[in-house]
Amino acid sequence: MRAASPRLIGLAAVALMGVAPLLPFTPAFWITLAGYAGLSSLVAIGLVLLTGVGGMTSFGQAAFVGFGAYTTAVLTTSFGFSPWATLPVSLLTTGLAALAIGLVTVRLSGHYLPLGTIAWGISFFYLFGNLAALGGYDGIGGIPPIRIGPWDLVDARAIYYLIWLFVLIAVVLSHNLLDSRMGRAIRALRGGGAFAESFGVDTAEAKLVVFVYAGLLAGLSGWLYAHVQRSVSPSPFGLSAGIEYLLMAVLGGSGYVLGGVVGAGVVAVLNDQLQNGLPKLIEGGGNLDAIVFGILLVAALQFARAGLWPMLRRLGPPAAPKSVDLSAPPLPRTPPPDKGAPLLEVEGVSKRFGGLVAVNDVSFSVRGGEIVGLIGPNGAGKSTTFNLLTGVTSATSGAIRFRGERIDRLPARKIAERGIARTFQHVKLVPGMTVLENVAIGAHLRARVGALSSLFRLDRAREAEIIAEAARQIARVGLAEHMHKPAGSLALGQARVAEIARALCLDPALLLLDEPAAGLRFAEKKQLAELLKRLRAEGTSILLVEHDMDFVMTLTDHIVVLDFGAKIAEGAPKIVAESPVVLEAYLGGVE
Amino acid sequence: MSSKRASSKVLAPMLGAALMALAPAAARAQIHIGIVVSETGPAAALGVPQKNTVAQLPKEIAGQTVEYTVLDDATDPTKAVADARKLVAEDDVDILIGSSATPATLAMVDVAAETKTPYCAMVPTKSTVAPLDDKRRWVFKAPQDDAIMAAAVFDHMKANGVKTVAFLGYTDGYGEGWLTAAKAAAKERGIDVAGVERFQRTDTSVNAQALKIVSANPDAVLIAASGTVAVMPQKALKELGYAKPIYQTHGVSTMEFVRVGGKDVDGTIFPAGPVVVASLLPDSHPSKAVGLAYIKAYEANNKTPFAAFGAHLADCASIMLNGVKAALEKGKPGTPEFRAALRDAVETTRELPANHGVYTYSPADHSGLDKRSRVLIEIVGGKWTLLPDPK
Amino acid sequence: MSPTILLFLAQDGVMNGAVYALLGVTLVLLFTVTRVIFVAQGAFVAWGALTMAALENGAVPGTALLLVGFGLAAAVVDLLRARGRLSGRRLGLIAGRDIVLPLALLALDTALAPLKPGMAVDVLLTLALIIPMGPLVYRLAFQPLADASVLILFIAAIGVHLAMTGLGLAVFGAEGSRIDPMVAGVVPVGPIVVKLQSFAVLGVTAAVMAGLFVFFERTLLGKALRATAVNRLGARLVGVRVDGAARTAFALAAGIGAVSGVLIGPLTTVAYDTGFLIGLKGFVAAIIAGLASYPLTALAAVAIGLLESYSAFFASAFKEVIVFSIIIPFLLWRSFAHGAPADEEEE
Repeated sequence: MRAASPRLIGLAAVALMGVAPLLPFTPAFWITLAGYAGLSSLVAIGLVLLTGVGGMTSFGQAAFVGFGAYTTAVLTTSFGFSPWATLPVSLLTTGLAALAIGLVTVRLSGHYLPLGTIAWGISFFYLFGNLAALGGYDGIGGIPPIRIGPWDLVDARAIYYLIWLFVLIAVVLSHNLLDSRMGRAIRALRGGGAFAESFGVDTAEAKLVVFVYAGLLAGLSGWLYAHVQRSVSPSPFGLSAGIEYLLMAVLGGSGYVLGGVVGAGVVAVLNDQLQNGLPKLIEGGGNLDAIVFGILLVAALQFARAGLWPMLRRLGPPAAPKSVDLSAPPLPRTPPPDKGAPLLEVEGVSKRFGGLVAVNDVSFSVRGGEIVGLIGPNGAGKSTTFNLLTGVTSATSGAIRFRGERIDRLPARKIAERGIARTFQHVKLVPGMTVLENVAIGAHLRARVGALSSLFRLDRAREAEIIAEAARQIARVGLAEHMHKPAGSLALGQARVAEIARALCLDPALLLLDEPAAGLRFAEKKQLAELLKRLRAEGTSILLVEHDMDFVMTLTDHIVVLDFGAKIAEGAPKIVAESPVVLEAYLGGVE
Repeated sequence: MSSKRASSKVLAPMLGAALMALAPAAARAQIHIGIVVSETGPAAALGVPQKNTVAQLPKEIAGQTVEYTVLDDATDPTKAVADARKLVAEDDVDILIGSSATPATLAMVDVAAETKTPYCAMVPTKSTVAPLDDKRRWVFKAPQDDAIMAAAVFDHMKANGVKTVAFLGYTDGYGEGWLTAAKAAAKERGIDVAGVERFQRTDTSVNAQALKIVSANPDAVLIAASGTVAVMPQKALKELGYAKPIYQTHGVSTMEFVRVGGKDVDGTIFPAGPVVVASLLPDSHPSKAVGLAYIKAYEANNKTPFAAFGAHLADCASIMLNGVKAALEKGKPGTPEFRAALRDAVETTRELPANHGVYTYSPADHSGLDKRSRVLIEIVGGKWTLLPDPK
Repeated sequence: MSPTILLFLAQDGVMNGAVYALLGVTLVLLFTVTRVIFVAQGAFVAWGALTMAALENGAVPGTALLLVGFGLAAAVVDLLRARGRLSGRRLGLIAGRDIVLPLALLALDTALAPLKPGMAVDVLLTLALIIPMGPLVYRLAFQPLADASVLILFIAAIGVHLAMTGLGLAVFGAEGSRIDPMVAGVVPVGPIVVKLQSFAVLGVTAAVMAGLFVFFERTLLGKALRATAVNRLGARLVGVRVDGAARTAFALAAGIGAVSGVLIGPLTTVAYDTGFLIGLKGFVAAIIAGLASYPLTALAAVAIGLLESYSAFFASAFKEVIVFSIIIPFLLWRSFAHGAPADEEEE
């Protein structure tokens, strides 16, 4: 059944939405209701990107709706602007507000961020209500309807089409954004996103981009709202409205753009049905919808944390895999370092945590085209050394040079820019993204194309190059058949190899591998060793931290042994293996 | 990319139910009134007594049965508009009444005008019916203007030698409306507004604001708050040793205020609609009989004591139904002709006695009330007493 | 501004701060033990005050019915979850704790309330009704989510807040109430007079703080709770029952909430939704203290009370804007100075 492609079903749904209001038996109020659902959808879509995809929970989106609505309300009623003329102004005001608030908010970490959104959500509500220019708590009435040509859009059908046209645009733009270089950076934000910094992603920028984008969608909704409602007052822009938007996103599926639309639709229908049927159950009128919504929110988290959309989606045919065009021109490469030339030089590096000396005066170097192993028993300071090299922490004293340039004070992102790529001891792939998309994050620095051009699909040429590069690297490490699977479905060994492919996408001069063989089966280890040897032959230098002695001995050209934070031995594998100090450290440690 | 597949979630039930819900025939032998109130949310204290009033509204007028549909807007203007549209679109109502709070009411004005449905507002806000343009032609307002209420208060102040007054009110529409009216009334009478302080309905302390007022030592304080919350600022003032007259607004015209306030609210003077003290009114007062009947029916239907807000709904209903007889000659209920005729008929209302006063509308005035629409009440020994009108 | 005004505003601020402190400390307690940022704590405060008010008026408080409802819901959830494998003992426990106890309390209230048994009995009845709600709320809302991230728990807490506020309106109505002061009268402090009730609030706040200190430092149960706070898995390994600890924490929270309600009831008009803003301000205090330290929370709460009092005096219309904006610099400071509090993976 090739006919039932998702695209076709989507088109059918759009057609159905387009025709439904024209049918004579469609109740008029349902059209109004669908219009309101559309208005909420815009906000909820933004919230999906912000919360479900970007990992930043916001309770304050309603305030941005307010910015959009109040801007047009003031301009049209007090200054006689036409509604269409205020659309760019509304978006600009909201965008600037989102930028200013976002600059502060995205710097909040963990649960401080949602708390921050609550704080400004409440503050703006009171501000809207207390500013005389905004009509105080009574708000502003008499806002003109939107006009298209000679027609005032006051009829529910006309408004419905306008709103859903905007929703359709928002859905398409959001899909475009997520399916792009910036989109992958945004999707990597969830769960901290620190790892993306190691591939040159400016996570603060990515957060700000998604924050402003979500704000703009809310502002657009506000602009529409003002002209549909024809009056504005503070209460639809307060904290409880913000909570309701979040409920929509969580209920519909906060990880999916269409989840926002489903959630908005469900909440609108529920709101209406609760009103019709249930108030009779409670005498004197309780806040029934609040009770039901509250319970629903908790129940959704308990039983369907991914929301409704994934359940619905499963009923349809699976999405087509992302197309890979291997004929796309290759991304620019930096020539590999000369064989044997000094590449990475670690000079007397120490790291102290309070009184504890984790790394003590360690020096070693990595030359072009060689594989160096960094080994040592547990607690020897390997991980700390690795963190120093990758910019996760900075050294207390000493210097680290890469191609002659000091990198010990640089953040992870800048280190990546210089051609150092890494893998992680605990695999850090975004489980919901395909292997291909995960690996493509590695190429972030090699094809700079901004969020704006991806919204309007002006990035396709560069995108094809990125995807082709990712596909080539996946093939290179031997994962080609798993390319379109979600990364979360990979076995540990495959995931480690996928991380190497991602690192290779950076076109690194130096590859830092953090325990690449941990948890791998024998055959997998052998394959990994083969891969690393091939990479060396192609000119890539490798530094690996490893536990597995056999693996290190057969693979490396040079070994550095750490114990209690200090270097105790160094040399060719054979020499190190016979060193009495090393044997003592290992055997003594085991005893 | 199944871009809008989700929407089928909304559409599927729409189509399904559409087959069952055949559009009702336009004309019918029955008058349908759609009511929006805030049963929940911040304005619930107003909305609940309004909703409780519905059961006692007339079931029949001029040989037509009257049907009422009540919807809750949760004090949310967005919902109020959706409700109003639903009532017009689904129930094809002849008359709209609502809502309990000002923002929702202002938002409903547009729906009424757009659908050409006669509409009765239950909030005092003047801007619902002024300026009386093409849009507001469809709106009639039942509650007294804040200005009428404020005039009563400030006349009393002036008669009692008050030269300076401080204002302590909610930071919401209610407080704002009263502040505007109070400033105007004070200016007119040469009374100086010595301080304006605001507080939140949910605040747990207004001591700081009270202190600021007490240190300014005005001749009187006007508190613009509602229900039991209005007790708090008054207590704070008393505790700070403020012994001069304290005026409240009609927001406290509920016995709950006295119950919660106890002796601290003794001596409070506030304006109210006549229904509030129906039993104390002289027999000659046009609102006495109506008011007593209203209270009796309310308290028979509900376990709770009546509140003035509920009577606004009753007044709205009688104003609108008063025009039905004339309108029936022009069209059948459920038709645009009927609604237009009803609007015209209501506009010619003359001397209609109701709970909150006597209504006389004209093409130039959709507020309809005069001085008979308010009385001044003083709380004496936990009981309401009627003050004579200051001359 | 005269010293008298300064002093008066200070005492008003400290008073309010003491109430915020009670809430803030409770939030810290719940967060450390269960990782739940329990924004609905204010509802317990409102329910406490309104339950007390109903009892004073000789009416059966709506919370008695709510408790029965909560108990039934919890029993149903427990039975569904356990399915077939349910020992007789466990069944007895569920029946006793979730069904019989609430019904008994309802019966007790119905019998005692019309007699207006006096303040002491009223307080006890209030506590008896509110305290069991804590564990039941935990059981229904949070226990199934016990392993979820802080963020998920937080969103769930918002849901609980919505539901509890709605339930409060349904059983208590929209109008607020006041309750009789425990101690009437005033005492002069320098140039101003202070209500005795205010001292009662301060005293109880101090007592609760001291009680928490003794509980966490000196008792086995308290130490178990602290162990859970530090490391859930570790606590489980050494035999601390994590769910039991969480239930205890929620019982404590509900208890402190009810006490706060009884304390502020005479000072202000409490309505079904009064609790939320009080709770949020206690919450701001808890955040400033990093959701970790009790004394710091109390200090921050008093500071917020003072800020509120002075801003109410100078710019009353913008008081909330000022109070809630103040949290942002603190959040920033917390984020920078202490890094991610819980940069955990979601789900």
